[in-house]
Amino acid sequence: MNAWVMISVVEFKLLFRNFYSVFFAFAFPVGMLLLFGSIYGNEPVESFGGFGTIDLTAPAYMCMVIAVTGLMSLPLTVAQYRERKILKRFMASPINPSRILTAQVIVNLIMTVMGMAALLIVGALVFRLQVYGSFWPILFSLFLITISMFSIGLVIAGVSSNGRMATVLSYLIYFPMLFLSGATIPIEIMPDHVSHFAKVLPLTHGVELLKRVWTGGALADSFQNILVLSGVFLVCALLSVKAFRWE
Amino acid sequence: MHVVNVQGLRKTYGTVKAVDGVSFSVDSQEVFGLLGPNGAGKTTTIECIAGLRTIDEGSITVLGIDPSRQRKALYQRIGVQLQETSFQDKIRVYELCGLFSSFYRDPIPYESLLARFSMMEKNNAYVQNLSGGQKQRLSIILALISNPEVIFLDELTTGLDPQSRRAMWAYIQQLKQEGRTVLLTTHYMEEAEYLCDRIGIIDRGTMIAYGTVEEVIQSCGLQTKITFEASEDIADVLIDRIPEIAEVQRAENRYSVMSHNDGVLGKVAYLLEDRKIRYQKLDVRRPNLDDVFLQLTGRTIEEHDK
Repeated sequence: MNAWVMISVVEFKLLFRNFYSVFFAFAFPVGMLLLFGSIYGNEPVESFGGFGTIDLTAPAYMCMVIAVTGLMSLPLTVAQYRERKILKRFMASPINPSRILTAQVIVNLIMTVMGMAALLIVGALVFRLQVYGSFWPILFSLFLITISMFSIGLVIAGVSSNGRMATVLSYLIYFPMLFLSGATIPIEIMPDHVSHFAKVLPLTHGVELLKRVWTGGALADSFQNILVLSGVFLVCALLSVKAFRWE
Repeated sequence: MHVVNVQGLRKTYGTVKAVDGVSFSVDSQEVFGLLGPNGAGKTTTIECIAGLRTIDEGSITVLGIDPSRQRKALYQRIGVQLQETSFQDKIRVYELCGLFSSFYRDPIPYESLLARFSMMEKNNAYVQNLSGGQKQRLSIILALISNPEVIFLDELTTGLDPQSRRAMWAYIQQLKQEGRTVLLTTHYMEEAEYLCDRIGIIDRGTMIAYGTVEEVIQSCGLQTKITFEASEDIADVLIDRIPEIAEVQRAENRYSVMSHNDGVLGKVAYLLEDRKIRYQKLDVRRPNLDDVFLQLTGRTIEEHDK
C-alpha cells in the first residue's frame, strides 16, 4: 500500500484506540446534547428567536468537537511524537516526516466530521433537529472554524518543548474556549463582563458564526466573525511553520 | 571501497563540541564499533552519518552517497536503529511493520523477519507491552525491512539483561554473515571485543584509538599478566630463564608476571613443572579494551559514567 495511505490508516486506528479522543469527540458532545435535550426539549422558544434549544445547541456542540480535535487531540499527539522521538524515527526512513503530520491533521479532520455527524444523527432522530440555513454557508463556516482551530493546535504542537508543556498550553486554551465561547453554555445567559471577555476567544466567533448561518442568517452579517477566524488562521499557520521543530 | 567514509567530522551544540574532528572508514561486510563512555559523541557521530543531523565541518559518504543531500536515496539502502526510540501508543507489532514496509521500494516481507527474530507470536501485541529485549528485536526488524546494505545500531544492547544481550550478539553476527555492513555504537568494551572486526574508541569528541581490537591493544603497549601463587622464591629464576618476561612482582606468595608476549604462559608453566615448584591459581589475563581506555584516558569507562 502507498506509504501515505498506510500512515493515515494506522494513525486513524490509533486515534480510535485513544479513549480520551473518542470520549471527548463523540460521547461527551452527544451526551450533552441528550442531557440538555431531555431537559429543555426542542420546542420553539421565543427568547431564542423562535428556534428550539437543540437547533441552537447542536451547532455550538459542533464547535466543541472541532475544539477537541484541533486543540487537544492534534497538538498533544504531535508533541508526544516529537518528545518520544517517534518523528525522528520516521526521519530515519525514506519518507518525508511531514507525512506523519499531514496524516495527523487528516485523521483528526475525519474524527471531527464523524463527531459532528454523530451530533446531527442523534439530534435529528431524538429531537427532530432542524437546519434552517443553506448548505454552502454552513460548510464554509465549518471549514473556517476548523482550519483556525487546527492552526492554533499546530502552534501549540510547534512551540511545546515536551508533552507536558503541550498539555498545559492546550488546556489553557481549550478550557476557557470550551466554557466561555458558547460552545457548551449559551453565551446569552452569561453576565456582560464575561461575554465581553469571551469576544477575545476565537471559538466565540466560531460559535456565533455557525449559529447564525445554521439558523438561516447570511454570511455577510458575520463579517467580523469571518475576519477574526481568518486572521487567527493566517497568523497561526505562519507561526506554526516557523516554530515547528522535529526534535 | 569504503562503505562509510568520515573525514574531519565536527559538530558543536552551542558551546559544547560534541564531535571534534573524527575520521574513520568502514569496510564492506565488516562490523565496526564506535566505542566510548556515555556522552563521548558516539550517538552524534552515528546520527550525522545517517543524515539525521547537519554537520558543522568535515565530509561524510555512505555507499558513495552524501547523506545530507540524498537522504531518500540513502534510506532505501540502509537501516537504522536509534537510541531511545519509542513508538506510538497502542500500535501493534504487525501494524508498525506494515507501516515501515510501505516506505520502501523492495521490502523484505516482515513476516519472515518476525519469524527469524522469534517475534511471530507477538505479531498482534501492542508494542508498548513488549519486553526490553523484544523491543530491541523489533528495532532490528524495522531496520532490516529495507533489506539494507549497511545497518546502523546505536546502543542496541544498553539496558538489556545478559541473556538478551548475548542473543543480540548472535543476531549481529548473522547480519555480517549475510553480507551486510554493520556500524554500531556501544559502551560495553566486551561487546566490542566480541563483535567488532575493527573499532574506534571515542572520548570527549575525539577518536583516541582506531583499528582491530588486537592492533589497538598492541599500540598501547599493554602487557599480558600471568598470576599464580607459590611459596618458593622464584622471581629471579623466571627473569633469568624466560627473556620475554618484562617484570615480576611478588606480594607474599602471590606472583604477577608481566610480558608483551602472549606465548609466555606455556614457558612459565613449564618452568614451574620442571622445577617441581608447587603452585596454584595459575591464571592469565590478556589486556582488554578496558585497560586500553584506562591507559589512554586515565579513567575507566564506569568512572566516566558516574
